[in-house]
Amino acid sequence: MPFDPSSLRHLFPILSQPAHGHPLTYLDNAATTQKPLLVLDSIQDYYQTCNANVHRGAHFLSDRATNRFEQARENIARFINAPGQSHIIWTKGTTEAINMVALGLEHLLKKDDEILITSLEHHANLVPWQQLAFRTGARLRVLPLTSSGEWETEFSHYFTDRTRIFSATQISNAIGTSTPLQTMLDHAKQQSAFTLVDGAQAVAHYPIDVQALDCDFYVFSGHKMYGPTGIGVLYGKNHALEVLIPYQTGGEMVRHVSYQATEFNILPYRLEAGTPHIEGALGLAVACDFLLSQDRPALFAWEQHLANHVYQRLSKAGGMEIYSPEKHTTLVSLSVPNIHALDLNAYLDSKGIAVRAGSHCAHPLMAQLGVSGTLRASFACYNTLEEADRFCDVLIEAIDLLSDE
Amino acid sequence: MTKTALEQAQPFTIKAQLQACSSKEETFKTLVTLSKSLPRLSEEEKIEDNKIKGCESAVWLIIEESNGLRHFRADSDAKLMRGVLVAIVSLVEEKTRIDIQQMDLKAELQELNLSSYLTSSRTNGILAILSQLQQP
Ligand SMILES: Cc1ncc(COP(=O)(O)O)c(C=O)c1O
Repeated sequence: MPFDPSSLRHLFPILSQPAHGHPLTYLDNAATTQKPLLVLDSIQDYYQTCNANVHRGAHFLSDRATNRFEQARENIARFINAPGQSHIIWTKGTTEAINMVALGLEHLLKKDDEILITSLEHHANLVPWQQLAFRTGARLRVLPLTSSGEWETEFSHYFTDRTRIFSATQISNAIGTSTPLQTMLDHAKQQSAFTLVDGAQAVAHYPIDVQALDCDFYVFSGHKMYGPTGIGVLYGKNHALEVLIPYQTGGEMVRHVSYQATEFNILPYRLEAGTPHIEGALGLAVACDFLLSQDRPALFAWEQHLANHVYQRLSKAGGMEIYSPEKHTTLVSLSVPNIHALDLNAYLDSKGIAVRAGSHCAHPLMAQLGVSGTLRASFACYNTLEEADRFCDVLIEAIDLLSDE
Repeated sequence: MTKTALEQAQPFTIKAQLQACSSKEETFKTLVTLSKSLPRLSEEEKIEDNKIKGCESAVWLIIEESNGLRHFRADSDAKLMRGVLVAIVSLVEEKTRIDIQQMDLKAELQELNLSSYLTSSRTNGILAILSQLQQP
């Protein structure tokens, strides 16, 4: 393997502390990644050198904060190859971004229109559409994964002339499976549907090019890609953002207000009511720079190598059901018959290993898999092969301890 | 009903066993051992009405009363939770409703080294169980 995680692990000091008397082994990266020092420093630096409200005061600090804030937007645009900064809307995260689109498009939806999602969606990319369907009389349809975990070879019939919105994740957070996104987007576009891509699980791993994807909206969270919590992005094509009705109104997003009427501001400000999460935006821009400064294909190959290594070891060990694909994924999701995932989780935790047990905010997918929850180990660039092996060793120990022989 | 010496001693041994644990790993192993002493509920008893909401693992609790004293039977699909239930039930078993309501169950569980199960209340819902135990 050409990549050596020790080349950047020292940038993540949180990882060097013990947990319950053991070395902390952080394998819950699909939930949130740790943040490199550069990101932490940028937050400290913001408050030490340029804290002021943006777009408001005309004074030294406000100019400085506004410049950095708008520069951060440019960095994000570059990171996902958006055509310009006006396409980047700051949000709290993926969830808020999807809700903004679902509420913003409501005025275009009629009874019997169709909203299409896939069976891999996180609740964040399901519930807002379901509720939108309830409110408008539209129908929520689901393009399913087959029982063998594949996509049907022919799924174009799910896209109909009634499909108004197609919203899909790039990668499943629960089982690490990818969607055949480009093909799906092509079908959706043939039906002139609005398209949204949930990139929450992709941005930390894949280079993203929103113009190549050619989707109307692309959304992600900063905290899953080495950035701060509470900040995320809604990217949109110009016409797509323009049709969104702002779901929040107030300061910042207006140009002129009288008691009779309000003239909204131009994009991106029109969709950003209130004082934004300034240091979050700056920190996220630094996280993008951090990723861009790395050999990203090498990082991704390493993360996949770790997941594949665990997959191989655990399938050899036997006695478990693995739901994640063997290859091309950065996580392993599994269950053990007759042992609760929370019990496995608790033993791993007692040994300092952080993973996630549960339904991963994907109840319908769990129902389809026939489990109440899975145990998920998800990898980031700073994880080592020793950590992957420790996870396997301790998991096998846990199964031994918890089996009713 | 008179209790055997063993039954009387039980709450104390449970307490002693848990308090003797000096690491999360030991607590885990002790809870696994304790879980084996929990009589399982029948499938008919594991109904929605007996289920406690707010737990990520399924937890069922049945409260009965005789001669003014409360009896608890509980079950879960997760083993560790069954161990925790053994510990919790040992605190309140054979007490009156009033006595139970006056107990500081959170503090008692903390004394049993189970405080980390309290803090992750969102996932295991121990607090939901405690409030159920203290329901009038
Ligand atoms: C695929 C996917 N979509 C959406 C979300 C929601 O992200 P957030 O909670 O940051 O808004 C997540 C987070 O777990 C996710 O993995």
